[in-house]
Amino acid sequence: MKSIEANLIRLALKGDQRAFAELVGMYQDKLYHLAYRMLYNRQEAEDAVQETFLRVFRNMERYDDSMKFSTWIYRITTNLSIDRLRRRKPGFSLDAELPEHDGLDGYSMFASEDTSPEEEVLLSETQHIIRNAIDTLPPKYKTVMVLRYLEDLSLQEIGDVMDMPVTTIKTRVHRGREFLRKKLEHKL
Amino acid sequence: MNCNVAIVWMHDYIDGELPREDAVTLKQHLISCPACRARFDQLEKTEALLSSVMAEPKGQAISPATSAALTAKILKQIPSPARHRDWTGWIRRHPAVTAAAVFVLVMMASLAPTVNNGSELIVRGDDLKQVIIDGHTVIVPEGSQINGSLTVENGTADVRGQVQGSVTVIDGSLLTASTAQIAGQTRTIDQLLDRFWYKVTQTFGSKP
Ligand SMILES: [Zn+2]
Repeated sequence: MKSIEANLIRLALKGDQRAFAELVGMYQDKLYHLAYRMLYNRQEAEDAVQETFLRVFRNMERYDDSMKFSTWIYRITTNLSIDRLRRRKPGFSLDAELPEHDGLDGYSMFASEDTSPEEEVLLSETQHIIRNAIDTLPPKYKTVMVLRYLEDLSLQEIGDVMDMPVTTIKTRVHRGREFLRKKLEHKL
Repeated sequence: MNCNVAIVWMHDYIDGELPREDAVTLKQHLISCPACRARFDQLEKTEALLSSVMAEPKGQAISPATSAALTAKILKQIPSPARHRDWTGWIRRHPAVTAAAVFVLVMMASLAPTVNNGSELIVRGDDLKQVIIDGHTVIVPEGSQINGSLTVENGTADVRGQVQGSVTVIDGSLLTASTAQIAGQTRTIDQLLDRFWYKVTQTFGSKP
């Protein structure tokens, strides 16, 4: 049986704009949250979501319904977010490997995005600490952690989204978690 | 057990991937090793904080107004099928177009591969005066009477009124309201071969 999304794609391919609008309605806010957690910037998150749907529209014909639609669309949004993170700080090697469990202190930190005063008020101190900690993760770790905790995807599903073996994802979750533990150590 | 192994197992345990017997071994190590116990405690707290903060939308939530504005922006950038719009516009501008003219035009469109890219809406019929075209839906309004047959390709036929002839839908869907009355046959064709056959008989045979 075909998924709801696969059916909507089929209709959209025939020119049914309402079917496409339905897809937008189903995923837009989820993708916004995902992009926002990656980018911590409202405007950039909106732009990433907008670009995602444009890509979906242009590539619908190539959508293979043996893959879950959510996997496909999350992949587009995470890739676009990673691109934006890379563009943002051209001087840094954002793909740097996090070291194995110890020696994390030697890891160079990245400046975090400025928050608007409005957001400042709404975020509790703990949220701030965690948010800043997440923001210092290199993109490939950040993607894994955001998908893991925000979307509650299994390691296998994250592997599907990122097109990587589950063992790689597992290592990244472990290292990402250790990194955050270190950053939060004195607050726990 | 070695502390380095214990650390890896702690993560596996948190990920819900540590086999039961290994969990027992890990637990024994944690009882005897204060350093690992402290680390495990921190990891569990980190995990709990991460889950709660990520699930907490406050401060990061998209407001309904922003969400609606974003939807509008997304849909605005999506190109609309221009050629299809021209065709329905033409129908609307010429409501009293004769059946013969429509038939000839539509036959040309359906036979020319460059024009018919397989996704354009095509409407064929002997009496299209009362038919309403809305997007990719062809509506036979309630209370109206179509004096002949109707064929819709690449769209939805939404029949609410009376059709004296047959209704054929090719690569689309047929909706019939409770008020619909179709005197002839109803057919939906999806197969390439069926369509080919249909076009052949329609071109060389009699009118639908
Ligand atoms: Zn130990």
